[in-house]
This record gives sequence, structure tokens and C-alpha cells, in this order.
Amino acid sequence: MKDLVHIYELEKLLQDSCNDAVRQAKAQGQYAIGSVCAMIPEPLLNLDNCFSVRLRAPRTGSMEMGTYYMTSIMCECARALLERAIEGGYGYLDCIIAPDACAQMNRCVENIDKLGLIDKENFFVTYSDVPMKSDETALRHYVRQMRQYVLEPLNRNLGVDVSDEALRRAVEKQNQVNRLVMEIGEYRKEANPRITGYEFAVLCLSTFVCPKEYILPILEETLDELKRREPDKKNPCRARVVMVGSEIDDPDLIRLTEEAGALVAADCYCLGSFPERLEIQLADGEDVLTGICRHYMEKGQCPRFMNTEKIRERHEYVDALAREFHADGIIYQQIKFCDYWGYERAYAGEVMREQYGYPVLSVDRPYVAGGSGQLRTRVQAFVESIEIKKLNRKDK
Amino acid sequence: MKYFGGCDAGSTYTKCVILDETGKIAAQVTGKSRINPVLSARAALDEAVAQVPDLESAEELAYLVGTGYGRNKVPFADENISEISCHAMGVHVTNPQVRAIIDIGGQDVKGIAVDTDGTVRDFAMNDKCAAGTGRFFETMANAFEMSLPEFSRLSLKAKNVIPITAQCTVFAESEVISLVGEGKPMEEIAAGIEMSVAKRCFVMAKKAGAVDSVALTGGCAKNEGLKDAIEKVLKIRVIELGTDPQLMGALGAAEYARQKGMNG
Repeated sequence: MKDLVHIYELEKLLQDSCNDAVRQAKAQGQYAIGSVCAMIPEPLLNLDNCFSVRLRAPRTGSMEMGTYYMTSIMCECARALLERAIEGGYGYLDCIIAPDACAQMNRCVENIDKLGLIDKENFFVTYSDVPMKSDETALRHYVRQMRQYVLEPLNRNLGVDVSDEALRRAVEKQNQVNRLVMEIGEYRKEANPRITGYEFAVLCLSTFVCPKEYILPILEETLDELKRREPDKKNPCRARVVMVGSEIDDPDLIRLTEEAGALVAADCYCLGSFPERLEIQLADGEDVLTGICRHYMEKGQCPRFMNTEKIRERHEYVDALAREFHADGIIYQQIKFCDYWGYERAYAGEVMREQYGYPVLSVDRPYVAGGSGQLRTRVQAFVESIEIKKLNRKDK
Repeated sequence: MKYFGGCDAGSTYTKCVILDETGKIAAQVTGKSRINPVLSARAALDEAVAQVPDLESAEELAYLVGTGYGRNKVPFADENISEISCHAMGVHVTNPQVRAIIDIGGQDVKGIAVDTDGTVRDFAMNDKCAAGTGRFFETMANAFEMSLPEFSRLSLKAKNVIPITAQCTVFAESEVISLVGEGKPMEEIAAGIEMSVAKRCFVMAKKAGAVDSVALTGGCAKNEGLKDAIEKVLKIRVIELGTDPQLMGALGAAEYARQKGMNG
């Protein structure tokens, strides 16, 4: 297929945390709000003259300095972010809004704060509690926390407008992005899709790392382009998979998977489209902040939710995605030493295999995995086993 | 008569098998891998082709499958298939009753559960470090100033086993040197090394679903001391394969080539 017009620009954007779009927004006087978790609702970080940036550490090499502060048995993502902060990679941030969701990421942010790695007079960090259960009590607590540790500090320290009107505007802006991402993602349902999983991952990830105003026209133009795009006659995909698991902030992992023969037809991982790019629907008569928090709590599929209903819901969710996107198998992946996904991967992998009957590949991986020959071998063997079994079924 | 090739470009050895239409092995080659997998594969292929009187060059093979870590670099290969699938198929061709395989290669260890049709049911890999791989044995044999077969034979003479506590290849080597320096019996240290690798195979055997027997493949499968240690640690039988276990990847690749070439 002919390259998408904007793909090179977006690949370049993902090469650095402080990318061209971020620099442009900063030059215009906007505030850069660093975020490390999907449980802090994105619209709250895109109010008024603020824009959110999910912290990433592209092109990570050694993590020695981060490991010194966090030990080698901590999540590599958290260590890589700290390493990047020590290298001075997040100097553009005006604050980091972190949740008490993952202890390892918290420790990373605490180190950034305590070591004074962002040398800016008014720089601040906040931590807030986010729900582990999905019910009305948890929701009330969530709303209070978001008001106390997100909205009030933004208003107090940066003078950000946190009114209901501003919240509604931020939700609408977010929804414009979300709707476009989802519409683009729909093309992955085609038997011979006109967009690869890698291209989609680049587009989707880009929406997390720059101002929404920057990415919106790119998404609109890409959607238009896709409407006319012809897929290659020979479908290169040998099997279709749903990619599930912990944060993927490097599309090269998706590229590796596809080069090994597995089209990533749907995604359900942190920094992917499901559920993070679902449209936020605010109920009439409900306070705006409560409505936003309700969306993130009810739609969230993070394994941090530990009530039985949510655990079951996650299996059903992946099953529904697999059906909708015609997947032959599921890949569960996690970054090494991720607490939540360590348990979830082991359990859900077994459930999806035994109870739902899907072929499942379950892997833990380093933070930087795009060039891993070992991972390529695993994915290729998984694809081959799916492929051969499909052929055998056909023969019978 | 058509011929079909399988070339396994491994990290330490490159293997090549040529099958005829009936599935009979017409040629087999095992050679030390060079730094460039293209050159290794080329050399192994040419040597194998030279063993088949009907063939003049590798281009005359009806179908060629590449496998192993350098599988993308096998010249003239019609396609590449992962070594996991190929080892399963290779063992299936040789011993169809086998359901669990431990493949101990030069740089990783794999546990493979095999279905009745020779396809992979499930697999697990340990590729995090060199401990428990062929590279580990090479380092230990070097420390003993012995060849691998000599090292293996030595371990079988031990009446007791001296446990090796270090898992890391580098630290295990210095532990072994210290033990030798302390005057501990060499055969007991060697048996300790075999035992430490056998224990690392335990997880792979469990993941491969091994119940009462397991087949070993890869170069390390020729290590009698290791086989002995695995039988003791896992308390299951190690199945003797009908063909050189180091050739299983190449044989499986050649069998896939035969199936595809005959059907295509």
C-alpha cells in the first residue's frame, strides 16, 4: 500500500517526548501537563490552555541511572521514564498529575519530584487515589480525588479555568479525537484491511502525546485518505489477533508482530484505542465531573479493578473485541515486573484459552521490544500454530 | 525424483537436511555457524546438495524452508518457519508418539507441547540469559579445558554431586574455578553443572506438559550427562530419538518443505 500522507510526520513525532508539536504549543504559552496513567481522565488535563502528554521514553537504551533509584526488579517502563527524566527529557513539563494506581510508577514520579529533575520554579506534582472497584461509593471518592488533586491544583498553581463549561469543552474536544480514532480503527475489521495495525498504533499513540488541536486535522485528513485507499491485492496477514495487556508506547512492537505474520486487528492495552478512545457520553442531569469520572470508571479495563464483576467483564470485553474484529487469536503481553498485568496475564490467558477456546500467546517483554528476535520467534510460532490448525480444520 | 530442503541457521551450528519425495533423508549436514548466517546457510546447503547425486545446485530443490535464529537469512529459501514449529515437526516425523519436547539450543531453551499431527499445541521459551543453554556448557567445558563430549563423560563418573549455586554463566564459571582450586573432585563439579541445567529444564518440561516422558532436541541433547541429570530431576524418561536430535529443526523444516512442495 502507498504510505499514508502523515505517517512519517507522526513517526517522527513519536521519536521524542518533547516533540515538535509540544515545542510549538509551549512557544504559544500553553501548559504541558504530564500524565502517567489512563485513570486520570484526559479531559481534565486538557482544560483551558493546557495540553496533556503521556510520559514515554522513546529510544531508550541503558536504564542504569533509573535502576539505581528503583532497583532492577521494578517495572522497566517506570525505570525508563525516570532515566529519561534524569537525562533531562521532561524539562518542558509544568506539572505531573499522577494517581496512586501503580506503586512502581508512583515511585518513579516521586523520584522525579524529590530529585528536582524538572528545574522549573512553579513545577508541581500531585497524587490522587483512583478506584479499584466500580460502584457508586468508589465513584464519589474518585470525583472528590479528581477535584482535590487535579482540578484545584491546576487552578491554584496555573490559574486554569476548571468551570463546568471548560470541562464540557474539553470533553467535546476529546470526543472529536476519540470519534476519529474509532472511525479509522473500524477499517481493521475488513478481511484485507486498508490500514495496518502498525499504522493505526502510530495514529492512536500520537493522540496521547501532543495537543488535540495539532492531531485533529491530521486524523481528519487520514480518515479521508483511508476512504479512498486501496489495500494491496495480496493480503500479507496470516492470522488476526487482538493485542491485550500493559502499556505499549512503541509502535515498533506492533510492527514486529505484523512482520511475524499476525495482523493486530484490535487492541486493548494501555495507550491503545479500546477503551481509551471510546466516546465520553455525559448523562443529562449529572454533574460534569461525575459524568467524566463515571465514564473512566465504568469503561476502564485496567487490571487494577479487582472486583469480580470487572474481572469477568475484562474477559468478555476481549472476547467481544475478538469477535467484532474477526480475530483468530489473542496476544497477552506485559512489561516485565508489571504487578497488575503479571496476575492478569496469567489468569486471563488461561481463561481465554480454556473457557473461550482462543489460541493465546502470553509473553512478558522488555520495555523496548521492537527489535527482539526472541519475541519475533514467539509470535511467528504462534501464527504458524493458528495457521496450521485452520488448514487442518478446513481439510476435515 | 524431487528433493526438499530444510536449513536451520542456529546461533552456534547450522544444520541442513534434504528429503526425497518419500520423506527419506537424502543428505544431512551439521557445521559450526559463522558470524554471518548467510554464509553459514550457503555453506551447509552446498555441502548437503553435494551429497545427493541427482542434484547439482541448491536451486534444484523443489522447495526450501529456512528456520533457526538466522531463518530470514537463508539464501534461496521459499519461506521461513520458526524453529519451534520445525522442532515439533521434526520430532513428529521421527517419533510420532512424542508429546513433549525440550529443545536446548545454543542460546535459549524451549519447552514445546506437540499435537498428534505434529503441530505446536503450546510452547514456552527461556531466552533471558545464557544460563542453561549450549553456550553455558561450552563455557563450562572450556573452564575444564575439555571438549563437550569429554565433559559429559566425566560427569557420568561422579558418585556425588556438588551443587552449583550461581545461575549466571559468568558467575558459575568463577564458582567452578574456585571449586577446582579447592581441590574438589572434577567429576562431581561436572555433575553439579549438569544438574543445574537439568533443573532449569524443569520449568520448560512442565510448560510442555511432560508427564512421563520427554524428548530432548538441539545440540545439548547429545550430552549423556545432561540426559542422566534430567531423568533424575524430572523423574521422567528421556525418549531416544530415531534421528540425530541436533537435526530436528532442519528435519522439520525439510518435512514442511516436502509437504508444501508436494501439495503445491
